[in-house]
Amino acid sequence: MSNGIDGDVILRVDDLKKHFTPHQGFLQSFGKVRKVVRAVDGISFEIRRGEIFGLIGESGSGKTTTGKLVMKLIDATSGRILFNGRDVTSIGHEETKEYRRQVQMIFQDPYASMNPRFKIRDVLEEPLEIHRITADRKERETRIVRALTEVKLTPPEDFMGRFPHMLSGGQRQRVATARTLILNPAMLVADEPVSMIDLSTRAEILHMMKDVQRDLGLTYLYITHDLSTARYFTDRIAVMYLGRIVEMGKADDIIDHPAHPYTRALIEAVPEPATGKVDVVKELPISGEIPSPSNIPAGCRFHTRCPYMKPECKEEAEPELMDLGSGHYHACRRWKEIG
Amino acid sequence: MSETVLQVKNLKLYYHTSKGAVKALDDVSFDLKAGETLGLVGESGCGKTTMGTGLLRMPTPPGRFEGGQILVEGRDILPLPEKEIRKDFRWEKVSMVFQGAMNCLTPVYTIGKQMMETLQEHRSMEKAEAQELIKEYLSYVGLPADVTSRYPHELSGGMKQRVVIATALFLKPRLVILDEPTTALDVIVQAQIINLLKKLKKTFDLSFIFITHDLALEAEVSDRICVMYAGKIAELGTNEQVYGGKGPAHPYTERLLAATPRLRRKVESLSFIPGTPPDLIAPPSGCRFHPRCPRVYERCRMEEPPVREIEPGHLAACWRCFE
Amino acid sequence: MKLEDAAYRLKEFWGEFRKERNGLVGLGILIAAVLAVLLEPLILPFPEASSRWRDITYWQDNSKSAPPAWTNLFTARKSAVALTLWDSRTEDRGPGEKAYIFSYDYEFSRAPYDLLLRGEGSGTIPLTVTVRRPDSNAVEIIRYVLQDLAGQTFRLSFTNEGKANALEFLRKTERPENAAQIATMSYGVPEILFSRAEPDFVKGPKPLAGRYEIEVTAGFTDPRASIEHMEIVVVGRVSGILGTDSMKRDIFSGVVAGMKWALMIGLLTSIVSVLVGVFYGITAAYFGGRVDSVMMLIFDYFISLPVLPILIVFSAVYKPSIWTIIAALILFFWVGPVKTVRSMALQIKEETYIEAAKALGAGHGRIIFRHMAPLLIPYSFASMALAVPGAIVYESSVSLLGLGDATIVSWGQILHDALGSGAVLSGLWWWVVPPGLLIAVMGMTFAFLGFAMDKILHPKLKTR
Ligand SMILES: Nc1ncnc2c1ncn2[C@@H]1O[C@H](COP(=O)(O)OP(=O)(O)OP(=O)(O)O)[C@@H](O)[C@H]1O
Ligand SMILES: Nc1ncnc2c1ncn2[C@@H]1O[C@H](COP(=O)(O)OP(=O)(O)OP(=O)(O)O)[C@@H](O)[C@H]1O
Ligand code: SF4
Ligand SMILES: [Mg+2]
Ligand SMILES: [Mg+2]
Repeated sequence: MSNGIDGDVILRVDDLKKHFTPHQGFLQSFGKVRKVVRAVDGISFEIRRGEIFGLIGESGSGKTTTGKLVMKLIDATSGRILFNGRDVTSIGHEETKEYRRQVQMIFQDPYASMNPRFKIRDVLEEPLEIHRITADRKERETRIVRALTEVKLTPPEDFMGRFPHMLSGGQRQRVATARTLILNPAMLVADEPVSMIDLSTRAEILHMMKDVQRDLGLTYLYITHDLSTARYFTDRIAVMYLGRIVEMGKADDIIDHPAHPYTRALIEAVPEPATGKVDVVKELPISGEIPSPSNIPAGCRFHTRCPYMKPECKEEAEPELMDLGSGHYHACRRWKEIG
Repeated sequence: MSETVLQVKNLKLYYHTSKGAVKALDDVSFDLKAGETLGLVGESGCGKTTMGTGLLRMPTPPGRFEGGQILVEGRDILPLPEKEIRKDFRWEKVSMVFQGAMNCLTPVYTIGKQMMETLQEHRSMEKAEAQELIKEYLSYVGLPADVTSRYPHELSGGMKQRVVIATALFLKPRLVILDEPTTALDVIVQAQIINLLKKLKKTFDLSFIFITHDLALEAEVSDRICVMYAGKIAELGTNEQVYGGKGPAHPYTERLLAATPRLRRKVESLSFIPGTPPDLIAPPSGCRFHPRCPRVYERCRMEEPPVREIEPGHLAACWRCFE
Repeated sequence: MKLEDAAYRLKEFWGEFRKERNGLVGLGILIAAVLAVLLEPLILPFPEASSRWRDITYWQDNSKSAPPAWTNLFTARKSAVALTLWDSRTEDRGPGEKAYIFSYDYEFSRAPYDLLLRGEGSGTIPLTVTVRRPDSNAVEIIRYVLQDLAGQTFRLSFTNEGKANALEFLRKTERPENAAQIATMSYGVPEILFSRAEPDFVKGPKPLAGRYEIEVTAGFTDPRASIEHMEIVVVGRVSGILGTDSMKRDIFSGVVAGMKWALMIGLLTSIVSVLVGVFYGITAAYFGGRVDSVMMLIFDYFISLPVLPILIVFSAVYKPSIWTIIAALILFFWVGPVKTVRSMALQIKEETYIEAAKALGAGHGRIIFRHMAPLLIPYSFASMALAVPGAIVYESSVSLLGLGDATIVSWGQILHDALGSGAVLSGLWWWVVPPGLLIAVMGMTFAFLGFAMDKILHPKLKTR
């Protein structure tokens, strides 16, 4: 499997695209031009084994779509996904099932990601049933107990008989994590796992997830719109804008020395718990709102909002990711002038 | 900043459910001056929305006032008949942007029609005149006039929130309660809305009650911060007193602030508050925070700390703060 | 879902259902109906009513078109109630002769249509029937010899066998100038027996109330001779709880026997068709795309079929059994829940936990059966209940046209017979109202149940 450089790369995404064609009735298809939603529009990245990779961006930038593509919950329009060096973009039914044993997902909404009619025991037993791990009730029970202990829901027996609605959001997200761990996956895709959890306990869940990651040597694809937790939680991040990665690199590098104007604006907008800002109107180095992914601006797709926009940004081809050295990539042609 | 717009005295509001009374507001007092923004922060379920609807005197059933006073411009509104409340108080003096309101716009009507309806419920005016007014208010919140002919699904989240804010300002209220107005929005849009609110506050000389669970955001908008925990006020102080170098007084605020991630500072480990907020039907004895508090001692478990002034204009309810 | 979970859900459901008054009424009636079916053997006055509904001989000893017995409560002139006298006192009358004495309390104004002596005999037996009246007159009414019987049933009608003797008795008291009228009068044997022996009988007999003793004397000189199950049937002017029809059938027995068929038709049709519909809807929604389009096309085709006309033609051509009718009904009924289930399934399909299950590697079957169906089946209980009335009514309609299963008795068939014999025109309301009302009540019962369940189970779906 290992061939030189790719040796420690667990997941590689190659020019991945997902274009949604809105569903249209037979009659509507006359006359109207179909507006294609370019939710993910050619992204490439690599995740190394044992790394936490963050995907960051505003609502509608295509983060969840990327996560689902990686999970193979939806099919890519084009591009490739390589898992452990193997192309998994067009694999058969059985292989997909096996792939899903190794790559697991935690969903954003802990209230919706579990069947309300399942008890916690059933929730955790489901993956074992699906993958026919063991038919022995005792063995299953021990696995369930182990997974619950792993996510620090103790004593596990207390939780197994409950329904999801009897748990707090944080506890549910722990159960969701336990459900993925029970299959001993190699990689987890976590789509905003804490965004619906109270701030006071958010960090607790992140701690737990980090502990689990260290203990079991997992790899995470962590999707979020929250730069602050991303800085703490991830090793590297990729910033997405309208279906493209505009900047990628080590978390600290990107937040302390952003190269792309969009990343700068994002960082600028994050509130800081400090005094003296009440009577100041914040200067935002960005204007307007994010355009629709069905109508992506030509040239650099950020040019409509960019304070540094020059005619060439609009007229010339979209800039590719450029290496600043030390693994810091960005896609702004004027980065030198902006400084 | 002189005139007092709102005074809340020992307000109690309970939800009478089949399992018992949920003490969502339990003996809460504070006041608010003209042109001031009071921030209301706390975890989910601590009673922030209840405070908002309570101040409009429209508690969600099965909620009922169990005591206290709400003085608006010096007049207690709790004993007033509903008709009077509707005629010259609710929306006229105090209005509210409800939690998630932007997602509650009716999908089948245009924005213009919906705003028109709100307006005509309270004012009898010519249609043309009303339309002028709507356009004027849309321009205040930075929206083009043609928004009136569009449907909610054609607008982005930020635009919808602007529409809702414009609607809340229509009747020229003195006080606007904003319940989590930016929670569902992206940081950039959030910052834009916050900037807008600051401008509107100046233009109309408004008072705000700004409800959020995000202490960092509160630092950017509120003159004074009221931290709630389990239906009670834990700490109330000025922006400087809470976020300044000395740090907040109450252990809860302290922990909450520590749990608030900071982007511009490299941290090795984020802190959090262990445990979960208490059940408001049977809250813990003594200080309600004591099961989760790092500084708890004997007295906290036995006796409930009163809300006391610990320095001028700075209130807290914690035995440690009184030492 | 495990058993304890099901119990939990049920408890939760009952907690809410208790608050629905209509639902409780429906449940009460349903329980009563089920009890009636279970206890049918105990309730039925005519135990073989169900299997021998069309067997005229089974009903021949009943009164014809008799109103229910309780109509006496509303009339001044009480009519004799249909009745069978089983108990008799036996007395020995010398060698080889036995008397069976039946007592009958007559408290009516209008005499029964007839009296019948019934029993099973063997050998040759001479019989004498004497009626001892409260006015201490004794009328020997029948003298008859049963010839060479071998255990068959014998029936002796007082009217047929005793006419001469009765008239003889009447003549003793009647004025001679009325003698001519006796031959033409409309009063028969029962009137003579149960009226005062006075002059001017022919102008209007006056009832004689009191205890009558009917003595049957049998001679047992033949060595084979024996009599068993001797009884006297009073063929009343009013009969039973719901009266009789023009074929002398007991209507109460008919509607009780029809209850189980109504429940069976209703429940079987609705359960099978709703289950089919639910899985059809889920499958269409789940797979979506082309599968959905084709399935919905088929659905549209079925839903546009006119049920009744097709059912009628079908029944007329094939003379179906009740099972075939149920099968045909299912063919039309399964479409009922499809639209709603499909739209709900489309919603559920988008739920994150379905996606989560997919991410875990779950296959189609698992998602449909473990995740979607358990959520939609409770809802479908409501549509099941709501489909029951339809099924009952359709079966009735087919039966009403005389095209039903001839081996059973259903409410629709009773109605059909009633209308066919002009029951409405001749005022036999007791023949028309009960089956009609029961069809309506059964329909309403299930509608109540259905609406109550719908109210409880439906919002659950939205909130969770
Ligand atoms: N099934 C779909 N059909 C059509 N368009 C879709 C579909 N799924 C997503 N999109 C569109 O693709 C774009 C990207 O969506 P996506 O959910 O990936 O964004 P996101 O970055 O996860 O946003 P959020 O922060 O709101 O979760 C959005 O504009 C969305 O409307
Ligand atoms: N209509 C109601 N009936 C019963 N209990 C209620 C009702 N509304 C709120 N509560 C309860 O009252 C308490 C306070 O609720 P409230 O909505 O005011 O909290 P909040 O601070 O606004 O929370 P969030 O941040 O989640 O919006 C909670 O425990 C909640 O469960
Ligand atoms: S009173 Fe005690 S328990 Fe409560 S916050 Fe202060 S130190 Fe903690
Ligand atoms: Mg998303
Ligand atoms: Mg709230």
